Amino acid sequence: MTLRILLAVVMAAIPLVTGPLAARPAGQAARAGGPLEITSSMMVERRSAAADGTTRVTLVKPTRVSPGDRIIFVLAYHNVGTQPLSDVVLANPLPRAIAYRSASPGSPAPEVSVDGKTYGALAALRMPALDGSTRAAGADDVTHVRWRIATPLAAGAQGQFAFQAVLK
Amino acid sequence: MTTKDAIGRAVASLVLAGAALLGSGVAQAETRAGTPIVNTAGLRYQADGETRALESNTVTLLVAERLDVRLLREGDGPVGLAADTAAIPFVLTNATNGSESFAVTATLVAGGIAPLLAIDSDGDGRYDPAHDIAVADGATPVLAPGATLRLFALVAAGTVADSLVVTARAATGSGRAGSAFDGRGDGGGDAVVGPTGAAATVTVPLRTGAADPVLIKTQSVTGADGARRGGIITYTLEARFPGSARAAVIADLIPAGTRFVPGSLRFDDAVLTDAADADPGGFDGRGIAVALGDVAAASTHVVQFKTQIQ
Repeated sequence: MTLRILLAVVMAAIPLVTGPLAARPAGQAARAGGPLEITSSMMVERRSAAADGTTRVTLVKPTRVSPGDRIIFVLAYHNVGTQPLSDVVLANPLPRAIAYRSASPGSPAPEVSVDGKTYGALAALRMPALDGSTRAAGADDVTHVRWRIATPLAAGAQGQFAFQAVLK
Repeated sequence: MTTKDAIGRAVASLVLAGAALLGSGVAQAETRAGTPIVNTAGLRYQADGETRALESNTVTLLVAERLDVRLLREGDGPVGLAADTAAIPFVLTNATNGSESFAVTATLVAGGIAPLLAIDSDGDGRYDPAHDIAVADGATPVLAPGATLRLFALVAAGTVADSLVVTARAATGSGRAGSAFDGRGDGGGDAVVGPTGAAATVTVPLRTGAADPVLIKTQSVTGADGARRGGIITYTLEARFPGSARAAVIADLIPAGTRFVPGSLRFDDAVLTDAADADPGGFDGRGIAVALGDVAAASTHVVQFKTQIQ
């Protein structure tokens, strides 16, 4: 229940669909042009007290962020075509100053990678150590996240994924 | 963009990411104010039997300047006021993630002539009127993120026993954590007050009569890798005696997790043997001790020893 409310808020806060893509120059639009659209956003949590005494968490566009602040990355997708699309993969290489933390509540967990090549659960990944051995990877080591949509995406279908990160 | 292009670019960014990880392992610095955080996601799917790839819109955030300051006094306890000006050392740290200057003040609680503040230009911790210049217009020079500045509060001779209050405030602004100053951050972003309130205050009790000796302990670790097993830590114990003292002894226990390096004990640049013998110091299996004997006023003595991290 809570998760559904959170997602609804996110949807309202983010301009979905064509705005940013439509604004691209013609050359890029041709390259990107297709039945599937993706919109990326960086958001922050705003907590406010609701009338019933609970704390309501909404996602808003950040006015300012500084080191240590939590940032929610949201990837929204929409099949605006008329055909189902298969093997859909959404990927987000992390900006260098961003440290991955976890999937957002309500979002499926992404597969993560510490090298951009091998993806999997964080617990299964290892990092090379300076002495040539390897060690277990931690959230700070993550460089890429991705989601694979297992079933074909029907025409008109849309949704979004989100993960939490921290500004280093 | 073809899928092949996308892979090539992913590999290129992978190499860069690897290099960045090695570099950041030594010192994890905070992201500087004014840094743009740029994010673009990618998408790949199958349609009409071919793989297509595209990028999302690009979103950019400008990192704000979080204003924080730390001010620490070197040494503790009351400072004795003698016939000369007392130079009381402080260390100011720019804990902001941007370049910042700090307004600094020194006052006496009971009033009187406000002590001057001077910058320890050579950073040696000793006030030298020939080199250490007064703080101009009550503000420090602009300090890089994480940079420290050694300051002296100069309490004039003849000051009645009192308390000295030294304050530092970020020049951009200070106050309640979260207070914002639009457009005042480095790189054109906003500035926002951090958890320290961007202000710090240190109070130092003063009393008349000769000051107590001060012992300042510093450590350095060999190698760029920081404290690792097998690393050598050099401890330096500097004893400053504002007044004379009798039968002074400098003693220090070897920290847990480290082992004393035999033959590493030094006293004022002379090597001391570890055994209890004719020289003034030794190592008894648990700690080092050096007998200084009677010490003259306004003198400084330095003891050094090394330990190895186990």
